[in-house]
Amino acid sequence: MGSKIADWLDERLGWRSVWEAIFLRKIPKVNWLFTLGSATLFVAVNQAITGILLTLYYVPTPDHAYNSVQYITNEVAAGWLIRGLHHWGASAMVVLTVLHMLRVIFLGTYKYPREITWFTGVFLLIIVIGFGFTGYLLPWDQKAYWATTVGTKIASVTPGIGDWILRVMRGGPELSAVTLARFFGVHVWVLPSALMALSGLHLYLVIKIGISEMPGKDD
Amino acid sequence: MNEKKEIDRRSFLGMATWAIGGLIGAGFGIPAIAYIISPATRKDEAQDWIRLGSVSKVELGTPTLFKTKIERQTGWITKEEELSIYVLTENGRDFVAMSNICTHLGCRVRWISDQEQFFCPCHNAGFSKSGEVVSGPPPRPLDQYQVKEEDGQLYVLGG
Ligand code: FES
Repeated sequence: MGSKIADWLDERLGWRSVWEAIFLRKIPKVNWLFTLGSATLFVAVNQAITGILLTLYYVPTPDHAYNSVQYITNEVAAGWLIRGLHHWGASAMVVLTVLHMLRVIFLGTYKYPREITWFTGVFLLIIVIGFGFTGYLLPWDQKAYWATTVGTKIASVTPGIGDWILRVMRGGPELSAVTLARFFGVHVWVLPSALMALSGLHLYLVIKIGISEMPGKDD
Repeated sequence: MNEKKEIDRRSFLGMATWAIGGLIGAGFGIPAIAYIISPATRKDEAQDWIRLGSVSKVELGTPTLFKTKIERQTGWITKEEELSIYVLTENGRDFVAMSNICTHLGCRVRWISDQEQFFCPCHNAGFSKSGEVVSGPPPRPLDQYQVKEEDGQLYVLGG
């Protein structure tokens, strides 16, 4: 029965070849360090699921942000868990992305024919950091407020255009409702779109080119 | 049927992967559902006696409108809400307190004195002065509050 449905669907969707290409592809003999990318992907999915759930209650305005976060944490069933997963997942994202990158550097797998995989990966790291930076403000507590005050101020020391960058980031000279709204918009729309597009390409290339072998002594 | 099925390493790992994946899925799914439906499962707040105003304001034989403010906690917001209640008495001793919320789909009804009827503008419903449905789609009479009179003041039980 199950396999009949699978056949029926396969005839129309061709899902088996996709499945095989993704999950049954041949890989060289490698070690556990090669799972860091998958681990990053797993945590990214965690961030997406818990992030979407958080927006059901979170309100990105100065008069509601803090209270809505407290409401999630203390009043909503499993709210502490969803928020906790998103909070710790955010740190795990940065750590895993960096470890994944280090593996690629040390095994030299950024070279031909994987340059595009590497560069999309570099942008993905920047996106992950952008997520961390914008997400940090959203609880709108003292730590969030001052961290963003300092973070945007750091950007303002850029020679020449520094002050302009600061104003664009804050949406004005001061941290305000405008800042919170735009950080939220960037965090839940701009960065996720960019992440999906780039990680789509990144994963396509991983599957298309295949993963590299462990380099030997004389490579 | 005593043919023993050999489970090789590959299919064991395959099954283990599905099992772990299922556990992770449940680990997300169950809390997620609890999280989503949580506000709907909260108990309504405790009922309390709400003061409407002086008994002497109630006109004999005509529904009289009382407006009062109550505090409601919704999510993380405490807000003042206006409660409009029609009080009717025929003898000055027994009082009926009716909600102004239409029992059809929740619009607000209004007493039209020259027609001697409550009128709901949403789907043209009419209620008699004691709250019975006279015309239109509402399925039941206007809801009533428990009322009490104390020291010349009227109170209703609500929350
Ligand atoms: S809501 Fe009052 S008649 Fe429909």
